Amino acid sequence: MQAEVNALRGAIPQGLLEPPLTVGTVTPGSLDDQVLAFPETLPPKQWYIGLAITLTALVIGFSFIGYTIATGIGVWGNNSPVFWAFDIINFVFWVGIGHAGTLISAILFLFRKRWRNAIARFAEAMTIFAVICAVIFPLIHVGRPWLAYWLFPYPNQRALWTNFRSPLLWDVFAVNTYFSVSLMFWYLGLIPDIASMRDRTTSKVRKVIYTVLALGWRGAARHWQHYEKAYLLLAGLATGLVLSVHSVVSFDFATSVVPGWHMTIFPPYFVAGAIFAGFAMVVMVLVVVRETMQLQNLITTRHLDVMNKVILSMSCIMGYSYMMEGFTAWYSMNEFLHHGFMNIISGSYGWAGWLTIFCNILFPQILWFKKARTSYFWMILVAIGVTIGMWFERFVIIVISLHQDYLPSAWRLYKPTMVDFGILLGTFGIFFTLVLIFARVLPVIATTEVKAILPEAQPSHHGEDHHV
Amino acid sequence: MSETSYSVLGVFATPDALMAAIPKARAAKLGTVEAYTPYPIHGIDDALGLRRSPLGGMVLVMGILGAVTAFGFQYWISAIDYPIITGGKPPDSWEAFIPIMFEVTVLFATFTAGLGMLLLLNKLPFFGHPVLSSKAITGITRDRYVLAIEAEHQGFDSAAAAKTLKEAGAIDVEVLPAPDRSPFLTSDFILRTLGGIFVACLVAGLTMFFATKWFPLLRPMANMQDQPRLNAQKPSAFFKDGHGMQRPVAGTVARGHLPTATGTQEAAATLVNPLPRTKEMFAVGRKAYLNRCEVCHGVVGNGQGSLTAAYGAKPANLQAQQFRDYPDGKIYWAIVNGKNAMPAHAADLTETQRWAVVHYVRALQRAQNAKDEDLKVVAP
Repeated sequence: MQAEVNALRGAIPQGLLEPPLTVGTVTPGSLDDQVLAFPETLPPKQWYIGLAITLTALVIGFSFIGYTIATGIGVWGNNSPVFWAFDIINFVFWVGIGHAGTLISAILFLFRKRWRNAIARFAEAMTIFAVICAVIFPLIHVGRPWLAYWLFPYPNQRALWTNFRSPLLWDVFAVNTYFSVSLMFWYLGLIPDIASMRDRTTSKVRKVIYTVLALGWRGAARHWQHYEKAYLLLAGLATGLVLSVHSVVSFDFATSVVPGWHMTIFPPYFVAGAIFAGFAMVVMVLVVVRETMQLQNLITTRHLDVMNKVILSMSCIMGYSYMMEGFTAWYSMNEFLHHGFMNIISGSYGWAGWLTIFCNILFPQILWFKKARTSYFWMILVAIGVTIGMWFERFVIIVISLHQDYLPSAWRLYKPTMVDFGILLGTFGIFFTLVLIFARVLPVIATTEVKAILPEAQPSHHGEDHHV
Repeated sequence: MSETSYSVLGVFATPDALMAAIPKARAAKLGTVEAYTPYPIHGIDDALGLRRSPLGGMVLVMGILGAVTAFGFQYWISAIDYPIITGGKPPDSWEAFIPIMFEVTVLFATFTAGLGMLLLLNKLPFFGHPVLSSKAITGITRDRYVLAIEAEHQGFDSAAAAKTLKEAGAIDVEVLPAPDRSPFLTSDFILRTLGGIFVACLVAGLTMFFATKWFPLLRPMANMQDQPRLNAQKPSAFFKDGHGMQRPVAGTVARGHLPTATGTQEAAATLVNPLPRTKEMFAVGRKAYLNRCEVCHGVVGNGQGSLTAAYGAKPANLQAQQFRDYPDGKIYWAIVNGKNAMPAHAADLTETQRWAVVHYVRALQRAQNAKDEDLKVVAP
């Protein structure tokens, strides 16, 4: 086989060959010893410090959520005419973060991008955690979360049904579907890995837990056949789903008549923004994971390089979208649209508009340089910038559009309260607490998927580019 | 050994060795040949002669079912059961149903793909499989490739199978005994439980539906079903006096009309009927008289009203000489203020109606006591 590959390497110019997916010698056995060892050992001191910080944020967040529920949502800064503010901004922000995970696990799977195998597991986990953070906001914004089940169309004594023409109801379906499908996708991928952990652990308690979670997986060829088919189908379905979810989220705005919201560009614009923000978060977290868990041989410099390229391309799409927003405002000759756009660049919240443009469009352009794409300093700086920029992009869309609409007598500036910030901090606490726990409890790298793409992993009469 | 053994496992170090051994193991025809690997090996389906996975078809069917379910559900709710117009769209505007149709399609399809693969096709969870308690399992989920020849019937020759695998290049051979106890919590058990729960829900739902239809008294939580209400001509429990509505307070006048004439009946004698004696006015008076006065005073004003006998009251006979001699003003005063048992009608009749009734009473009196000249007037 090696001879064949060498012959090919002679024929194909060096630059066109796919670089190796791992660094150094990685065998299936060494992979298990490296990745599956984490759950069996005690975490280092830094992990506990990190957990203490994230748990503090989580507790602060939950106290403010409790205060909100006990007192009412009047404790937030939302008021006429800005009825939607931090709650929806944070909801859109977190749902967007989740999209990178599905993109990596589903769309890149369909495109046969084999490098995705090493980072898919972590990105999928981040999807699930981000969606958990996202659903908190609509849940507490309804005011009486214990009645939130009214959002679902179920036969009830009041003989009432939900309104299927409302994009908010589409959201309920989209986000619930997204969460359950992501969870299913993630768990199916975990089953063979948990089976590996089950068969290598020496602890009796762990053995019982892993046995139950692995469902008796035994790696039979007949099982793998159905499993691979299911994985392919799920990837195809999740691809459509991930595009639909943020489109539906954008419908919340686009189907209304508020100037600055009522635009046909919104669905693709939102999906691109979601992937953009999600990749930034994945890069940030993966860099930390890669360094602290010594995974440099599996999450290679090439992974970071490729992910930064995705961020760069999404940044360009965002730049195009921003320009289209300005163009639409100008070309429509609609004074309301024009006023709304001028608010973004020169109104009371103009600083937020420029911060968005700088963080999302201008600063990421540094990633055109390979040096920046492979340097921790620059890529983390860009990723933090994109996270801030994408949060402010939603602030710009929601608050700036709402605070001055058709009725000048109702115009008012929006000011968030302490509680708004506390809950936002709390969701970061929830997210990173879950990430930290996940990193030490489950395999952070899909060992089964990486084993399948190692050199010599497949029978030699099948070329190495034939499979994922 | 031969009777109770379940299968024989041969361990291989590389996927190439495994693939090379498969045809040899299958050619021996000793039992079902199965491979156990740490990750999917490409080309192994064909080598083992496995049929294509039917999962794609299952997912397609369930996906279509999801779309149809979502459309039917939304259409029935929005257009039939609860047709509320929102956003100026007709109740059956199906375009708005598409996003949820898509989401439900994906939901049905993914759950079919995931759970159908696990529970139906792979029969997982299955904790009692002999391979799980074999020595080779730690290699199977790590970096070893195992070929198994599994017993199809009682006469399985495990020694021959072991020999075949050794000859095919296995670095290690393990004979697995048949499991000594039946496995618990299998996919069959879970599927049957889920099916049972589904059937139980269906039965309970249908039972309640028909029970509430046939035995309405059983309707659960009928909090707002029986409400106190007013029935015509029936006493009501709303107020102590048994009336459903309370009388207006003394001195109440119909809105927008002149204040009632005050003073005594004698003082009112000088009032003059302001209305012309036209056909229309007599019609107004007749209507008001039949509504308000007839029950006591009778159709012709003779005091024999439809309710007189029932209540044993003694209403005035308006045809009596005393009342025929009354000036209009005194009749008007009686209508407005009431007299003896007769209640005041000030709140019930407008000023016009009161005087129109006076006209009508005059007409009744004249009709019952007609003179010869009156006939001449009537003739055209």
